[in-house]
Amino acid sequence: MIAYKFLRPDGTGVFTRFAWPPPDDGGPGAWVDAPADPCRTGVHACRTGDLPYWAGRVLYEIELEGDVVEHDTKVVAPRGRLVRRIGAWDDAFRATYTRWCADRAHEIARGSGLERWREVIEPSVSEGPALLGFVAARVAEEGFGVEAYHAERARQSEWLAARLGL
Amino acid sequence: MAEHAACQEVVELVSDYLEQSLPPGEASLFEQHVNFCDGCDWYLDQMRSTVATVGRLTEHDVPDETRERLLSAFREWRRE
Repeated sequence: MIAYKFLRPDGTGVFTRFAWPPPDDGGPGAWVDAPADPCRTGVHACRTGDLPYWAGRVLYEIELEGDVVEHDTKVVAPRGRLVRRIGAWDDAFRATYTRWCADRAHEIARGSGLERWREVIEPSVSEGPALLGFVAARVAEEGFGVEAYHAERARQSEWLAARLGL
Repeated sequence: MAEHAACQEVVELVSDYLEQSLPPGEASLFEQHVNFCDGCDWYLDQMRSTVATVGRLTEHDVPDETRERLLSAFREWRRE
């Protein structure tokens, strides 16, 4: 299974700080093995629909092997290796996506009479795409209910997948 | 937790998270929050460092005077 994984700029896991073997000279990195136990051990990764929840600094395509456990916002496998870095996910792209999320949040706030969110949206822009994606979804949720939260997340993942060519 | 976690919940659950005792769904919401909240990310880092530091201490690392003061404080605390 092909999935995606956000890492820190130094190539370590966002939460585990595990140093992932990087792809080299066009080939994939070394396989990493760990028993799949969601949120504890195992290789955690995103489907395209999960990307907005975990938006980080550096994005890789990752190949997963073994029995993949599917969760609401992630997949966990006993084995994985980094295949390639998604070069399109760079600082400029992150800024563009963040701005798009901020504009969406403003649009939803205007459409649902939640003008007070304006005070939250713009100051949050400097915090990056993960926060703005959350803010836009939260505005949608407050205006139209929990289904709107998930719908906004789905819209974000479609935007990302289309522009990153995933 | 609901669909997402608030900062207060992250603070309350940080020990459970570090001990890996949160159910997967809650742990996932915890991590999603930490992923976008610099304040909670910093707090989690501090707690990790504290646990790592304190976890290395042995009884012999605590000076006698400090140990006596701590024991005395604990005895007083139990009497209250």
